[in-house]
Amino acid sequence: MSNSSPCSYCGKTSFIRDNESGELICSSCGAVQQFDQFDAQIGGIDGPQGTFVHVGTTGSGSVYSYKERKLFAAQNSIDEVTNILGLSSKSDDVRSMVSTITEGEFGQGEWFQVLIGACAYVVMRKADRPLPMAEVASALGCDVYEIGRMIMRVVDFLDLRPDFPEFDIVHSLERTIRNCNALASVERGVIERMRKQGVFLIQCAVKWFLSTGRRPLPLVVAVLVFVAELNGVAVEMEELAQEVHARVSTCRTRYKELLETLVKVAQVLPWGKDVTVKNIVKNAPFVIQYMERKAMSKPGEVREKGEGLTPAPVDLEDVISECLSNDGEFEYGVDGMTHRKDSRYYFLEGNAGGVGGGDVDRLQISPECLSMLYKKFRDEYRRGESLRGNGNAQKKSLRVDLLECSEWWDGKSELSKKLLLKRLLEKDIGVDNMPPSFVNGQLKCKMRQERIKAAKLRIKRIMHPFDADVGDTETPDPLDSSYPERRRKKRKGMVVDDVDWEDLIIETLVLHKVKEEEIEKGHYNTLLDLHVFNSGIV
Amino acid sequence: MADQGLEGSQPVDLQKHPSGIVPTLQNIVSTVNLDCKLDLKTIALQARNAEYNPKRFAAVIMRIREPKTTALIFASGKMVCTGAKSEQQSKLAARKYARIIQKLGFPAKFKDFKIQNIVGSCDVKFPIRLEGLAYSHGAFSSYEPELFPGLIYRMKQPKIVLLIFVSGKIVLTGAKVRDETYTAFENIYPVLTEFRKNQQCTLFGYQTMIKYLVWLWQIDLKKSRSSGLAEKFVEL
Repeated sequence: MSNSSPCSYCGKTSFIRDNESGELICSSCGAVQQFDQFDAQIGGIDGPQGTFVHVGTTGSGSVYSYKERKLFAAQNSIDEVTNILGLSSKSDDVRSMVSTITEGEFGQGEWFQVLIGACAYVVMRKADRPLPMAEVASALGCDVYEIGRMIMRVVDFLDLRPDFPEFDIVHSLERTIRNCNALASVERGVIERMRKQGVFLIQCAVKWFLSTGRRPLPLVVAVLVFVAELNGVAVEMEELAQEVHARVSTCRTRYKELLETLVKVAQVLPWGKDVTVKNIVKNAPFVIQYMERKAMSKPGEVREKGEGLTPAPVDLEDVISECLSNDGEFEYGVDGMTHRKDSRYYFLEGNAGGVGGGDVDRLQISPECLSMLYKKFRDEYRRGESLRGNGNAQKKSLRVDLLECSEWWDGKSELSKKLLLKRLLEKDIGVDNMPPSFVNGQLKCKMRQERIKAAKLRIKRIMHPFDADVGDTETPDPLDSSYPERRRKKRKGMVVDDVDWEDLIIETLVLHKVKEEEIEKGHYNTLLDLHVFNSGIV
Repeated sequence: MADQGLEGSQPVDLQKHPSGIVPTLQNIVSTVNLDCKLDLKTIALQARNAEYNPKRFAAVIMRIREPKTTALIFASGKMVCTGAKSEQQSKLAARKYARIIQKLGFPAKFKDFKIQNIVGSCDVKFPIRLEGLAYSHGAFSSYEPELFPGLIYRMKQPKIVLLIFVSGKIVLTGAKVRDETYTAFENIYPVLTEFRKNQQCTLFGYQTMIKYLVWLWQIDLKKSRSSGLAEKFVEL
């Protein structure tokens, strides 16, 4: 540029650049040339003059660039978040994971906090010591779903999928017992026993489908409350639920389900019929002991043992009669009260087999087990009775119970340790439970079948009003209010002649020749659209 | 209508559905180009079945009764039709919307009709061990009970997403044609049976059961109860 134009005074074209001022000087006449350094300035050429200094390039560490400041803040917030979550030891792993994901850029703002939380969760879960998402979310003050989305993105980004361990509910239980404030004042020994019992029960619950497809924490709370009750530790469900960030109502539902399933197991006990949701906690020692024994016996081994005792093809009659004779022994020297009950226990013994649908293994183990349990129960009952006779009834009998807790529990079974799912599923703990949602679905389906039947009957009656047969061959009316599946109070809208909206829809569908199996599924809107309001399509 | 009409139903084609279960289509989403610029405000003002709130969403939402569907109509002339239960219904509904737009005075055509998504559902009638499925099919499935009760299974061929629930209910989504849904279900069904909870009938022998029943009768239990069991047994 400067070389192309000659000197403005002498016309020569050789120049020297003055290093101090940066100006161009003619080498022959020494004239200073016109300003030619059109450097980009802030605000353009006419903008403010001065020396442009990049922030952060001068000075020695007092002023940082944006990036440096961002990185510094990011490191701080990683430390902060890991601290809140109590994972200071893992903060390096979290940091390196965040760094990999952001390609060393880290970040700022709310999303970055969520990313840190997600990375902390993933790091812990990779180490098989999962944190609950709810806890991370509450530590960051964000939504569970927000953190969940980020976790899924992290998992996808790092391609962890095939070997990413599942959320471990057993570990979650142990962790809660360890860190729970509500249990802080309880003795160590009791805590340890509670932990073992809790692990045992929660693995049973997993086996019973109480955890599948549900949030794990409410179940953890339910099991903890139950175990605490069993060991005479006073814990409020509300308090516990709040501590692990679970909904109290969900915890209550899980607790109820747990009790109901335990009652189902208790049906094999000689006094099983008397066990209800209300007294299950008192009976729980026996139930758990029974389940423990079941779990400890391997199916194969039992069969061999059984063959030693009874001739090769297992004879149920023998087993059952053995049971009955054992009970007979006890009848001696038992006071009148137990006598009265025994006649019923004969029956129950039979039912015990019936409930499990003839589960051979169970019946084989039952004689010794049942008789022992029965003895124990009787002793306890007597003691309780005598105490009651002394006057201070309720309190003392309760204490007796609590004292006994320590005796029945030995925690020898493998189920009190953590098991792999496959091993867990192989274990037999007496009763197999179906998932509640499945049971509900089946019930609904059955109810719809009944309704279809009723609808067909009504249609028949209208089409053949004089056909006497129709009225006579009527099966016991499923619309009868005593029918268990029908819950009248739930019905909405008008009910005329015991026929409600659902019946009418079903009737319409039946009249339009919709397949029964389709109606049973209960997608009424779809079926109506496809078969009834379908005039436009030829 | 004749009596036998009530019983009339054709069996499932086992060649096409070896599982014997046919997923029910629940929703079909289709798009069509009306190929003309639309003034949404005019449409909203003139059509009675339309709602338009530009602050919330930049499209007119229009519904018709038969087939019961909802359409989103955009100013560019593109339209999305949702809620139909079959492909024909979806097309018919889209045509009806196009006709409505025409009647409002726009030169609407009916270009590039395409089914974008088909959602189906069905019930396999047995509970499923989601944990086990997630473990052995980890590469395809995501089971996070903390976030969602179902297992999300991303099938590669056909490219379908399945939501699998413990109750045995399945939702299949992402298909462009009906057969993709069916194939996906037939693919997953054997996998699901692998993780079904063992039914008790398979666990004990019938001989034992006969003995047990005889014994039940011997000790004269309630008549109705034992006969009920017997009936069940005969069914088996």
